[in-house]
Amino acid sequence: MNAISARYPTLLPWVLRLIVGGAFVLAGGLKIANPAKFALDVSNYRLVPHELINLVAILIPWVEVTAGCFVLAGIWLRAAALVITGLTVMFLFVIGSALARGLNIECGCFGTIGGKHVGLVNLAIDLTLLSLAVLLTWRSADGSRKAVTPEAAEVCVREKAGERSGGLY
Amino acid sequence: MNAWLRSTLPQALGVVLLGVAAGLAGNRLSPRGLPLMAPPKPVRPVELFISLEQAKQMWSGGAALFLDAREPADYAAGHIGNALNLPAQSFAQHFGAIAPLLTPETELVLYCDGVECELSHRLQASLREGGYTNTHLLLNGWTVWRQAGLPTTPGGKK
Repeated sequence: MNAISARYPTLLPWVLRLIVGGAFVLAGGLKIANPAKFALDVSNYRLVPHELINLVAILIPWVEVTAGCFVLAGIWLRAAALVITGLTVMFLFVIGSALARGLNIECGCFGTIGGKHVGLVNLAIDLTLLSLAVLLTWRSADGSRKAVTPEAAEVCVREKAGERSGGLY
Repeated sequence: MNAWLRSTLPQALGVVLLGVAAGLAGNRLSPRGLPLMAPPKPVRPVELFISLEQAKQMWSGGAALFLDAREPADYAAGHIGNALNLPAQSFAQHFGAIAPLLTPETELVLYCDGVECELSHRLQASLREGGYTNTHLLLNGWTVWRQAGLPTTPGGKK
Protein backbone atom coordinates (compact mmCIF):
# COMPACT_ATOMS: atom_id res chain seq x y z
CA MET A 1 0.00 0.00 0.00
CA ASN A 2 2.86 2.34 0.86
CA ALA A 3 4.48 1.73 -2.54
CA ILE A 4 1.21 2.53 -4.29
CA SER A 5 0.57 5.64 -2.22
CA ALA A 6 4.13 6.79 -2.81
CA ARG A 7 3.70 6.40 -6.56
CA TYR A 8 0.19 7.85 -6.75
CA PRO A 9 0.02 10.20 -3.76
CA THR A 10 -3.14 11.97 -4.84
CA LEU A 11 -4.88 9.13 -6.62
CA LEU A 12 -5.25 6.70 -3.73
CA PRO A 13 -7.29 8.97 -1.43
CA TRP A 14 -9.54 9.77 -4.36
CA VAL A 15 -10.13 6.12 -5.15
CA LEU A 16 -10.73 5.34 -1.48
CA ARG A 17 -13.22 8.19 -1.19
CA LEU A 18 -15.00 7.11 -4.36
CA ILE A 19 -15.35 3.49 -3.25
CA VAL A 20 -16.30 4.12 0.39
CA GLY A 21 -18.44 7.21 -0.17
CA GLY A 22 -20.05 5.79 -3.30
CA ALA A 23 -20.90 2.50 -1.59
CA PHE A 24 -22.62 4.28 1.29
CA VAL A 25 -24.52 6.74 -0.90
CA LEU A 26 -25.72 3.80 -3.03
CA ALA A 27 -26.60 1.59 -0.05
CA GLY A 28 -28.44 4.38 1.78
CA GLY A 29 -30.18 5.66 -1.35
CA LEU A 30 -31.61 2.25 -2.18
CA LYS A 31 -32.97 1.91 1.36
CA ILE A 32 -34.47 5.41 1.27
CA ALA A 33 -36.26 4.51 -1.97
CA ASN A 34 -38.18 1.77 -0.18
CA PRO A 35 -38.33 2.47 3.57
CA ALA A 36 -41.11 -0.05 4.28
CA LYS A 37 -39.00 -2.85 2.77
CA PHE A 38 -35.99 -1.79 4.82
CA ALA A 39 -38.14 -1.64 7.97
CA LEU A 40 -39.16 -5.25 7.31
CA ASP A 41 -35.49 -6.19 6.84
CA VAL A 42 -34.62 -4.50 10.15
CA SER A 43 -37.50 -6.32 11.84
CA ASN A 44 -36.30 -9.67 10.50
CA TYR A 45 -33.02 -9.32 12.38
CA ARG A 46 -35.01 -9.30 15.63
CA LEU A 47 -32.53 -6.99 17.36
CA VAL A 48 -34.53 -3.76 17.58
CA PRO A 49 -37.64 -3.32 19.78
CA HIS A 50 -40.78 -3.32 17.65
CA GLU A 51 -41.64 0.33 18.42
CA LEU A 52 -38.24 1.57 17.22
CA ILE A 53 -38.03 -0.35 13.94
CA ASN A 54 -39.44 2.48 11.81
CA LEU A 55 -37.20 5.09 13.41
CA VAL A 56 -34.11 2.96 12.75
CA ALA A 57 -35.26 2.26 9.18
CA ILE A 58 -35.80 5.98 8.57
CA LEU A 59 -32.59 7.33 10.11
CA ILE A 60 -29.84 4.81 9.31
CA PRO A 61 -30.04 5.21 5.49
CA TRP A 62 -29.93 9.00 5.73
CA VAL A 63 -26.91 8.92 8.02
CA GLU A 64 -25.28 6.56 5.49
CA VAL A 65 -26.02 8.92 2.60
CA THR A 66 -24.92 12.03 4.53
CA ALA A 67 -21.62 10.46 5.59
CA GLY A 68 -21.11 9.10 2.07
CA CYS A 69 -21.70 12.54 0.53
CA PHE A 70 -19.26 14.16 2.96
CA VAL A 71 -16.63 11.57 2.04
CA LEU A 72 -17.24 12.04 -1.68
CA ALA A 73 -17.09 15.82 -1.33
CA GLY A 74 -14.02 15.67 0.90
CA ILE A 75 -15.68 17.79 3.61
CA TRP A 76 -14.91 16.81 7.22
CA LEU A 77 -13.37 13.79 5.61
CA ARG A 78 -11.85 12.23 8.70
CA ALA A 79 -15.06 12.66 10.71
CA ALA A 80 -17.26 11.31 7.93
CA ALA A 81 -14.94 8.33 7.46
CA LEU A 82 -15.13 7.75 11.20
CA VAL A 83 -18.94 7.72 11.05
CA ILE A 84 -18.78 5.21 8.18
CA THR A 85 -16.36 3.10 10.20
CA GLY A 86 -18.82 3.09 13.09
CA LEU A 87 -21.74 2.18 10.84
CA THR A 88 -19.76 -0.64 9.25
CA VAL A 89 -18.80 -2.07 12.65
CA MET A 90 -22.49 -1.98 13.60
CA PHE A 91 -23.47 -3.75 10.35
CA LEU A 92 -20.79 -6.38 10.95
CA PHE A 93 -22.20 -7.07 14.41
CA VAL A 94 -25.77 -7.26 13.08
CA ILE A 95 -24.89 -9.59 10.21
CA GLY A 96 -22.63 -11.69 12.42
CA SER A 97 -25.36 -12.11 15.02
CA ALA A 98 -27.87 -13.12 12.32
CA LEU A 99 -25.43 -15.74 11.03
CA ALA A 100 -24.70 -16.97 14.54
CA ARG A 101 -28.44 -17.39 15.18
CA GLY A 102 -28.89 -19.22 11.87
CA LEU A 103 -31.36 -16.63 10.56
CA ASN A 104 -32.18 -17.16 6.92
CA ILE A 105 -33.23 -13.62 6.10
CA GLU A 106 -32.59 -10.99 3.46
CA CYS A 107 -29.58 -8.86 4.23
CA GLY A 108 -31.18 -5.52 3.36
CA CYS A 109 -27.62 -4.26 2.93
CA PHE A 110 -28.03 -2.66 -0.48
CA GLY A 111 -31.81 -2.33 -0.60
CA THR A 112 -33.43 -4.51 -3.19
CA ILE A 113 -30.12 -5.10 -5.00
CA GLY A 114 -28.94 -6.93 -1.93
CA GLY A 115 -32.01 -9.13 -1.97
CA LYS A 116 -29.72 -12.05 -1.32
CA HIS A 117 -29.98 -13.82 1.97
CA VAL A 118 -27.53 -12.77 4.61
CA GLY A 119 -24.33 -14.78 4.48
CA LEU A 120 -20.56 -14.80 4.59
CA VAL A 121 -20.41 -12.74 1.39
CA ASN A 122 -22.05 -9.84 3.24
CA LEU A 123 -19.53 -10.21 6.06
CA ALA A 124 -16.69 -10.16 3.52
CA ILE A 125 -18.07 -7.04 1.80
CA ASP A 126 -18.49 -5.28 5.15
CA LEU A 127 -15.00 -6.27 6.29
CA THR A 128 -13.58 -4.88 3.05
CA LEU A 129 -15.53 -1.65 3.49
CA LEU A 130 -14.40 -1.46 7.11
CA SER A 131 -10.73 -1.78 6.21
CA LEU A 132 -11.12 0.86 3.50
CA ALA A 133 -12.97 3.19 5.89
CA VAL A 134 -10.29 2.77 8.56
CA LEU A 135 -7.62 3.41 5.93
CA LEU A 136 -9.50 6.50 4.80
CA THR A 137 -9.78 7.78 8.38
CA TRP A 138 -6.05 7.27 8.85
CA ARG A 139 -5.11 8.64 5.41
CA SER A 140 -7.26 11.72 5.77
CA ALA A 141 -5.65 12.46 9.13
CA ASP A 142 -2.26 12.03 7.49
CA GLY A 143 -3.36 14.07 4.49
CA SER A 144 -4.65 16.93 6.62
CA ARG A 145 -1.24 17.27 8.22
CA LYS A 146 0.45 17.28 4.83
CA ALA A 147 -2.05 19.69 3.36
CA VAL A 148 -1.22 22.60 5.65
CA THR A 149 0.46 25.57 4.03
CA PRO A 150 4.07 26.43 4.90
CA GLU A 151 2.84 29.53 6.77
CA ALA A 152 0.38 27.52 8.80
CA ALA A 153 3.04 24.92 9.47
CA GLU A 154 5.38 27.62 10.76
CA VAL A 155 2.67 28.95 13.08
CA CYS A 156 2.03 25.43 14.26
CA VAL A 157 5.70 24.83 14.95
CA ARG A 158 5.92 28.12 16.87
CA GLU A 159 2.86 27.24 18.93
CA LYS A 160 4.31 23.83 19.70
CA ALA A 161 7.59 25.41 20.69
CA GLY A 162 5.68 27.85 22.92
CA GLU A 163 3.83 24.99 24.53
CA ARG A 164 7.07 23.24 25.23
CA SER A 165 8.69 26.31 26.73
CA GLY A 166 5.53 26.94 28.78
CA GLY A 167 5.77 23.42 30.05
CA LEU A 168 9.38 23.78 30.99
CA TYR A 169 9.16 27.06 32.84
CA MET B 1 -5.12 11.59 20.66
CA ASN B 2 -6.93 14.26 22.65
CA ALA B 3 -6.50 16.79 19.85
CA TRP B 4 -7.66 14.17 17.39
CA LEU B 5 -10.79 13.51 19.45
CA ARG B 6 -11.43 17.20 20.05
CA SER B 7 -11.40 18.01 16.35
CA THR B 8 -12.97 14.89 14.87
CA LEU B 9 -15.68 13.81 17.29
CA PRO B 10 -17.73 17.03 17.14
CA GLN B 11 -17.57 16.90 13.35
CA ALA B 12 -18.58 13.22 13.36
CA LEU B 13 -21.48 14.09 15.64
CA GLY B 14 -22.38 16.88 13.22
CA VAL B 15 -22.45 14.43 10.30
CA VAL B 16 -24.71 12.08 12.27
CA LEU B 17 -27.05 14.88 13.39
CA LEU B 18 -27.26 16.21 9.85
CA GLY B 19 -28.18 12.72 8.67
CA VAL B 20 -30.81 12.42 11.39
CA ALA B 21 -32.29 15.82 10.47
CA ALA B 22 -32.30 14.92 6.77
CA GLY B 23 -33.92 11.59 7.61
CA LEU B 24 -36.73 13.16 9.64
CA ALA B 25 -37.33 15.83 6.99
CA GLY B 26 -37.08 13.39 4.09
CA ASN B 27 -39.46 10.97 5.77
CA ARG B 28 -41.97 13.73 6.41
CA LEU B 29 -41.87 14.95 2.82
CA SER B 30 -41.77 11.54 1.14
CA PRO B 31 -45.03 9.94 -0.01
CA ARG B 32 -43.48 6.65 1.16
CA GLY B 33 -42.73 8.03 4.62
CA LEU B 34 -43.30 5.80 7.63
CA PRO B 35 -44.77 6.72 11.03
CA LEU B 36 -41.82 7.40 13.34
CA MET B 37 -43.02 4.87 15.87
CA ALA B 38 -44.17 1.55 14.49
CA PRO B 39 -47.84 0.96 15.30
CA PRO B 40 -48.31 -1.57 18.11
CA LYS B 41 -48.59 -5.16 17.07
CA PRO B 42 -52.20 -6.23 16.61
CA VAL B 43 -53.52 -8.18 19.57
CA ARG B 44 -54.36 -11.66 18.36
CA PRO B 45 -57.72 -12.97 19.52
CA VAL B 46 -57.37 -16.06 21.67
CA GLU B 47 -59.73 -18.03 19.40
CA LEU B 48 -57.12 -17.91 16.66
CA PHE B 49 -55.12 -20.46 18.58
CA ILE B 50 -55.77 -24.05 19.52
CA SER B 51 -55.06 -25.26 23.02
CA LEU B 52 -52.19 -27.54 23.86
CA GLU B 53 -54.69 -30.29 24.62
CA GLN B 54 -56.26 -29.96 21.17
CA ALA B 55 -52.82 -29.98 19.56
CA LYS B 56 -51.88 -33.08 21.54
CA GLN B 57 -55.02 -34.90 20.35
CA MET B 58 -54.35 -33.92 16.73
CA TRP B 59 -50.77 -35.12 17.03
CA SER B 60 -51.73 -38.41 18.70
CA GLY B 61 -54.45 -39.17 16.15
CA GLY B 62 -52.15 -38.34 13.27
CA ALA B 63 -54.93 -36.10 12.01
CA ALA B 64 -52.76 -33.08 11.38
CA LEU B 65 -49.36 -32.27 9.98
CA PHE B 66 -47.26 -30.14 12.30
CA LEU B 67 -45.19 -27.43 10.63
CA ASP B 68 -42.38 -25.63 12.43
CA ALA B 69 -42.20 -22.03 11.18
CA ARG B 70 -38.84 -21.27 12.76
CA GLU B 71 -35.45 -21.06 11.08
CA PRO B 72 -33.71 -24.31 10.09
CA ALA B 73 -31.08 -23.89 12.81
CA ASP B 74 -33.77 -23.58 15.50
CA TYR B 75 -35.62 -26.56 14.05
CA ALA B 76 -32.44 -28.61 13.98
CA ALA B 77 -31.81 -27.77 17.62
CA GLY B 78 -35.06 -29.51 18.57
CA HIS B 79 -38.68 -29.63 17.45
CA ILE B 80 -42.06 -31.25 18.04
CA GLY B 81 -41.90 -34.91 17.10
CA ASN B 82 -42.73 -35.60 13.44
CA ALA B 83 -43.01 -31.89 12.70
CA LEU B 84 -41.62 -30.67 9.40
CA ASN B 85 -39.74 -27.43 8.94
CA LEU B 86 -41.23 -24.73 6.73
CA PRO B 87 -39.45 -21.48 7.69
CA ALA B 88 -41.80 -18.52 7.38
CA GLN B 89 -38.94 -16.20 6.47
CA SER B 90 -37.88 -18.25 3.48
CA PHE B 91 -41.23 -19.79 2.59
CA ALA B 92 -40.76 -19.79 -1.18
CA GLN B 93 -37.39 -21.49 -0.88
CA HIS B 94 -38.65 -24.38 1.25
CA PHE B 95 -42.27 -24.82 0.21
CA GLY B 96 -41.39 -27.02 -2.78
CA ALA B 97 -40.11 -29.77 -0.48
CA ILE B 98 -43.31 -29.76 1.61
CA ALA B 99 -45.89 -29.19 -1.14
CA PRO B 100 -46.11 -32.84 -2.31
CA LEU B 101 -47.29 -33.80 1.19
CA LEU B 102 -50.13 -31.28 1.23
CA THR B 103 -53.60 -30.97 -0.21
CA PRO B 104 -55.81 -27.93 0.39
CA GLU B 105 -57.74 -30.04 2.89
CA THR B 106 -54.74 -31.15 4.93
CA GLU B 107 -55.09 -30.12 8.54
CA LEU B 108 -52.01 -28.19 9.56
CA VAL B 109 -50.78 -27.13 12.99
CA LEU B 110 -48.29 -24.28 12.79
CA TYR B 111 -46.02 -23.21 15.59
CA CYS B 112 -42.91 -21.24 16.43
CA ASP B 113 -41.52 -20.23 19.82
CA GLY B 114 -42.36 -17.39 22.20
CA VAL B 115 -45.66 -15.61 22.81
CA GLU B 116 -44.47 -12.71 20.66
CA CYS B 117 -43.40 -14.94 17.78
CA GLU B 118 -44.80 -13.81 14.44
CA LEU B 119 -43.41 -16.62 12.32
CA SER B 120 -46.39 -18.98 12.56
CA HIS B 121 -48.72 -16.09 11.64
CA ARG B 122 -46.58 -15.28 8.63
CA LEU B 123 -46.51 -18.93 7.62
CA GLN B 124 -50.27 -19.11 7.96
CA ALA B 125 -50.65 -16.08 5.67
CA SER B 126 -48.30 -17.59 3.07
CA LEU B 127 -50.12 -20.93 3.15
CA ARG B 128 -53.52 -19.24 2.83
CA GLU B 129 -52.31 -17.42 -0.27
CA GLY B 130 -51.55 -20.85 -1.73
CA GLY B 131 -55.02 -22.15 -0.87
CA TYR B 132 -54.06 -24.11 2.24
CA THR B 133 -56.63 -22.73 4.65
CA ASN B 134 -57.09 -25.60 7.10
CA THR B 135 -54.48 -24.24 9.48
CA HIS B 136 -54.33 -23.99 13.27
CA LEU B 137 -51.85 -22.05 15.37
CA LEU B 138 -50.30 -23.29 18.58
CA LEU B 139 -49.20 -20.23 20.56
CA ASN B 140 -45.65 -20.42 21.93
CA GLY B 141 -45.75 -23.93 20.48
CA TRP B 142 -42.24 -25.25 20.98
CA THR B 143 -41.98 -24.07 24.59
CA VAL B 144 -45.41 -25.26 25.79
CA TRP B 145 -45.06 -28.60 23.99
CA ARG B 146 -41.62 -29.25 25.46
CA GLN B 147 -42.60 -28.10 28.95
CA ALA B 148 -45.58 -30.47 28.89
CA GLY B 149 -43.19 -33.34 28.27
CA LEU B 150 -44.80 -34.23 24.95
CA PRO B 151 -42.83 -36.08 22.25
CA THR B 152 -40.03 -34.08 20.68
CA THR B 153 -37.13 -34.70 18.38
CA PRO B 154 -34.07 -33.38 20.19
CA GLY B 155 -31.24 -31.47 18.53
CA GLY B 156 -28.97 -33.42 16.22
CA LYS B 157 -31.78 -35.63 14.91
CA LYS B 158 -34.11 -34.78 12.09
